[in-house]
Amino acid sequence: MNTDNCITLENVAIGYGGKVLLKDINFPLKAGEFAVLFGPNGSGKTTLFKTILRIIPPIHGTIIYGKGSPTRFGYVPQRQYLDEIYPFTAEEVVLMGTFGTRKPFCPTSKTDRLLVEQCLKDVGMLDLKKEFFSEMSGGQKQRILIARALATRPDILLLDEPITGIDIIAQKKIIELITELHKKRQLTIMMITHEVHHIPSWVKKIIHIHHYKVVLGSLEEIISLSRIDEIPTQE
Amino acid sequence: MEQFLEILSPHFLLRNAFYAGLIVGLVCPQVGIFFVLRRMVLLGIALPQVSNAGIAFAFLLHTIGWHFLPHMESEKTMALTGSIIFSLIAIFTLAILERKRKGFTENRLGFTYVLAGAVSILFVSWNPYGQTEVLSMLKGEIVSVPDFYLWSMLAVYGTIFICIVGFHRNFVVVSYDSDMATTLGKKVVLWDILLYLIIGIIISLGVMTVGPWVIFGFLLIPPVAARMVVRGILPFCIVSSAIGTAASFIGFYISYRFDLPTGPTDVAVLSSLLITICLGKTIARFKR
Repeated sequence: MNTDNCITLENVAIGYGGKVLLKDINFPLKAGEFAVLFGPNGSGKTTLFKTILRIIPPIHGTIIYGKGSPTRFGYVPQRQYLDEIYPFTAEEVVLMGTFGTRKPFCPTSKTDRLLVEQCLKDVGMLDLKKEFFSEMSGGQKQRILIARALATRPDILLLDEPITGIDIIAQKKIIELITELHKKRQLTIMMITHEVHHIPSWVKKIIHIHHYKVVLGSLEEIISLSRIDEIPTQE
Repeated sequence: MEQFLEILSPHFLLRNAFYAGLIVGLVCPQVGIFFVLRRMVLLGIALPQVSNAGIAFAFLLHTIGWHFLPHMESEKTMALTGSIIFSLIAIFTLAILERKRKGFTENRLGFTYVLAGAVSILFVSWNPYGQTEVLSMLKGEIVSVPDFYLWSMLAVYGTIFICIVGFHRNFVVVSYDSDMATTLGKKVVLWDILLYLIIGIIISLGVMTVGPWVIFGFLLIPPVAARMVVRGILPFCIVSSAIGTAASFIGFYISYRFDLPTGPTDVAVLSSLLITICLGKTIARFKR
């Protein structure tokens, strides 16, 4: 496994419009590593994700991306933010992943079509490629969005709350899929969740946002930290 | 049948108006799909009204002897300039406010619509000499389209059509998922600006040719109707334009055959198509 750092955050402060949400963020993400970004709702997980993805700039500090060629991100957003008015088929949603490398005025190449088919196959959705994306179940949509992220040929896969709001069986299948992608392809993955029981037990690196501070730890350490919060305090 | 063949003849007296309608029917739905998909339909109502105000303002200036183009330039060129300037100022102001998330979108668009409507009437009422011509232009008298105007329209709408088709992927991904677009290396702000520029130009020129609510009809109804019958973004774009072009053709024929105003007939045909599709879908669902 390659041990080079894919991403390194050094003294990063994040937020919107100059207003700091989280500061002193320091952690590396190694190639082939699986990390979970864990914290309560509204703690700044998605903002941190968007900062890493270069969607919003950091207020302070530096983010160093890999070595050599620019880092390619496969981003899986929270599916509820995607408008259902768009009449996309599942195949078209996945095809979007190839738009970064396509030039204007060129029709979709055969290579891209094959890549899309492969990505759909990898997530077990090839049979449903002509179905309406907006009519799919939460779990199916999540698989399609993972396939779209894979179609970018990513160096790092970033998933924002991939199993929130879907049934337990679909949750299990999504986690199995993500695990398979990580283990078989050695894909670097970072996943957001706000629920401890969504974190796979084998994950070693957890980035925990706790009381506006970013701390690194194992699952056991995070659970114990969460339990401390649950102990009622005497006033 | 005789009248049908007459319309298709290259020597047909009103051929420019017929061709202009077809161009609007083909190109407007391609821009309209982004109104529908980005849920900016209200902008489609407000902007033609703003364009109207620009036309009325330009005519007013022309009448009182104030020219922002040389005096010998025709009133139509001046009106077009007024229309474009007003539309672009409005669309970029609205886009900036949208980005800064100041207040509610509906409130802003409602205010823009009512203000533009009111000032259009005031500009026209202050302009006693140009009233007839301004009103005929605002009503969308498609009958008189000069050669130069048709060619200009073909050039501008043709360029817009090529841009929309050629940059289709970028417009789609930026509209659907701007965060994803950024991770793919797309300059979201630049693509948004280009789309707004296209919207501003297509509405300004369209309002001058077919009137404000006809242009709104061609922007809105074909994509709404197409969305009901197709699956997939590419068929959606193709069917939208096909509906627009067909409605323009049928509308022109009916208006010529029964001596009706073309603009309202076009909108009536578009609306009939939409209602037919709605009914068809309801019956099909009921049968299942």
